[in-house]
Amino acid sequence: MDEIIKLVRTYRFADAIDERIRLAEEIFRRIEPDLRLFVYSSVSRDVAEDALQETLAAVAKSLKKFEGDTPKEFWAWCYRIARNKLSDHYRQKAAERTLPMPPEEMLRLIEAAQDTPLSPQTRLDLEYAMKLLTASKPECCDLLWRHFVIGLDYAEIAEEQDLKYDNVRMKIGRCLEEAKSLVA
Amino acid sequence: MAAISQREQLVLHEFSVAYRAALAKQRTPEQSLDTVKDAVRDQYEQEQQTKQTPTVEPESPTKQPEPSEPEP
Repeated sequence: MDEIIKLVRTYRFADAIDERIRLAEEIFRRIEPDLRLFVYSSVSRDVAEDALQETLAAVAKSLKKFEGDTPKEFWAWCYRIARNKLSDHYRQKAAERTLPMPPEEMLRLIEAAQDTPLSPQTRLDLEYAMKLLTASKPECCDLLWRHFVIGLDYAEIAEEQDLKYDNVRMKIGRCLEEAKSLVA
Repeated sequence: MAAISQREQLVLHEFSVAYRAALAKQRTPEQSLDTVKDAVRDQYEQEQQTKQTPTVEPESPTKQPEPSEPEP
């Protein structure tokens, strides 16, 4: 069984507060980076930290109610809570999707986090990835970002945007081709 | 699509990994963990209160006598 599901199950049956806090810490050390990426990609940076903390609190408070058996179900459940928390910002932002920060700033952030300097090839790849995203129309940038950067699958995006699975799959394919032709 | 845009998919994935790592390194998650701990404590206290709340019994038809004041 996946480690995260083991921890969540153990949490569900934990009674003592110390045990719950210890387990919650272990669980959130694993899921916080992904939820951070999701939230920071969904709302403007000035409200992102507050939105993230609200989302984490909501997930923590509902953790005992999660009854799924797989990591996929767990992540879908987490993202559903996050989306509910972000819904107001979400509607406002969806129409104007761009990268969460300018590409140069993003590259600086990535470089600063490296223990060793980026190799020329890696730098070229990252620059190319950012070009693909910035060259895309807002709707495409949003889809490519959600699928390739956040890592949501077609089904999750379809549920989130009230679209059909095949529709999302084809749109993402078209967006990628379009971005490629715009950058070439 | 998959075969044609394989390189594009790979660079976007590479970007995702690097960006996640950078975002995670940007700051310590201590604030997030404090938020989580507070939420767990709140939830625990709520549960304890729910457990302790006595079930409401129907009001007795005869009025209970007022408790007598303690003697000095």
